[in-house]
Amino acid sequence: MTKRFTQKKRRGIFGFLRREREEKRQESESSDLVVALDHIDVKVHSGELFGLLGPNGAGKTTLVKCLSTILIPDEGTAIINGFDIRSQTSMVRASLGMVVGGERTLYWKLTARDNLMYFASLYKMPRKLARRRIEELLEVMQLSDRADERLEDYSTGMRQKIAIARALLHDPPILLLDEPTLGLDPTFSRQIRNQIRELAEKYEKTILLATHYMEEADQLCDRVAIINNGKIVAVDTPDKLKTMVKETELVEIVCYSPPPDIETHLKMQCPDVKIITLVHEDEAKGTPSKIKLIGGNAEEHISTVIDMLRHRNIRISSLNIGVPTLEDVFIKLTGTGLTEGERAG
Amino acid sequence: MKRMKIIGADLQQSSLRSNLLIVWSEIVKNLKFLLAYPVVFIFWAIFPIFWFIPFILQGLALVGGDTPWQSESFALIAGTPEFIPFVVLGAILNSFVLTSLYGMGESIRREAYRGTLDYILSSPCNKAFILIGKALSESISSTIFAISQLAICVLFFGIQLTLGIIIPVIFIIILLILGLYGMALILAAVSLKYKQAHDLAHTAEYVFGIFAPVRYPLASLPLWGQIIGKLLPLTYALIAVRSIMLLKNSLTALYLEILILLVIDAAVIFLGFYLFNWMEERTKKSGTISHF
Repeated sequence: MTKRFTQKKRRGIFGFLRREREEKRQESESSDLVVALDHIDVKVHSGELFGLLGPNGAGKTTLVKCLSTILIPDEGTAIINGFDIRSQTSMVRASLGMVVGGERTLYWKLTARDNLMYFASLYKMPRKLARRRIEELLEVMQLSDRADERLEDYSTGMRQKIAIARALLHDPPILLLDEPTLGLDPTFSRQIRNQIRELAEKYEKTILLATHYMEEADQLCDRVAIINNGKIVAVDTPDKLKTMVKETELVEIVCYSPPPDIETHLKMQCPDVKIITLVHEDEAKGTPSKIKLIGGNAEEHISTVIDMLRHRNIRISSLNIGVPTLEDVFIKLTGTGLTEGERAG
Repeated sequence: MKRMKIIGADLQQSSLRSNLLIVWSEIVKNLKFLLAYPVVFIFWAIFPIFWFIPFILQGLALVGGDTPWQSESFALIAGTPEFIPFVVLGAILNSFVLTSLYGMGESIRREAYRGTLDYILSSPCNKAFILIGKALSESISSTIFAISQLAICVLFFGIQLTLGIIIPVIFIIILLILGLYGMALILAAVSLKYKQAHDLAHTAEYVFGIFAPVRYPLASLPLWGQIIGKLLPLTYALIAVRSIMLLKNSLTALYLEILILLVIDAAVIFLGFYLFNWMEERTKKSGTISHF
């Protein structure tokens, strides 16, 4: 499946009247084209909790929106529960529950019950069945006692729970969850993750979980597809993906006050490894910087790196030859971190 | 491929009951939004009364206070000497135009702004019923105003309301509203694509205000203006309602106006749905459907 977007540039109010500019305009239009999804080809098995891991702008939301028929792909198609997203939209929509955009996608001036009742009607659920289902879901989400309060009085986490309840209203076999824990505090994030796990294990839902949190993908997913710049660069179980990075390929340096050009200098010293500043120092909190060397023979460069940091009076807090994470895999495959590989659109 | 069961509802079936439920849910949702802002009641309470004052003063200034609200020269072109009832009826029907034109496009834009449009468009129901629900909820406030205004007409301007008058008038208003819904759908389609239909609605409001016989008879317009006026459903609805209420004509005498209204309704509703579906597909392809 492929999806491209045109990024429109301002050309001035009377730009369209100037014929001599037409040729230039046509030339620039092709460069304005952003490939959001580039020949995505992936199969998610029934009952699987499938992760889509990538930074913001990688194409995760575009893929979820294409699958949920909110967007139409330029090329290719997808089959969801046996139905084609291009020609059998109604049955695709009935087969899916979706959480995209989180808490903002609800009516804050309505109560939780009113919100769910309204969306149940869009899924053609009879009133009696809808009422029963809403009670069940509010119970599961532990929000029964606040069901008749307006969502404007809810916390972000509570609203996110209602967004998930909405996705489950018509008891769909497939769930598309786009960043379901984005912006939540650790307690709510844990609750939501537990619920996602329960939906997969207890209720046997097929779940596509799009996230840029590698721990989330690692902890929850049976298989993970790593997506970057609209392309799937790897698909496998988290454990197998992590074997792509050997222990000797991974060095983590924790240090204080590194100069801004530290990455450039390290890259000159160790040309065969990828170097990423994962965490930037926060002086107010007293947290140090974390720099990772991934790939090649990172381990062999340890003494060179220590010498260079000492030479520049950078205080090293620790140096670890670490256990690989999915983020390390992402860095090895793409050369950027999950929070650094962001791009516009 | 083996399909998994879709539990919860027989979603493949689209019954009249489930479709009416969508319309009803949309109306209830919009009314609850309205009730969430209590200041609206102050507006509702005073607006129908305040709304009359300029018409009365204008009427008194034009036709004089001695022979209240009647003008022979006005009767020559309007067919009735009663200037104020003529204008008041025009304004009552025009209020349906205003709410319909502004309502649906704005409602779609608000859904996009809230982030709920994606969920509405990704639900398996027929979107036409959501749009009908939106249109009907917009008409509720117009209808309440119209009833209040008609009550004032009966109390102060001697307009007689009998069942023989009310039923044909309601019939004509329904025909007018259907045409307006078609136009509102066109504006909603514009709103999907261009994320703003307000200015177009504003322009349409002026077109209706100038070329439909709201405050003056159609004969007051130059010939080209009359031709434009004759393309508007409000023109025929006004001619018919005034004919029933002021000249005591029956529906059968208005068969031509009714026929033209039906043709306009069918054309704009068809065009409205066609444009909405077309714009929906275009914005889904361009990826701008959720933009606001």
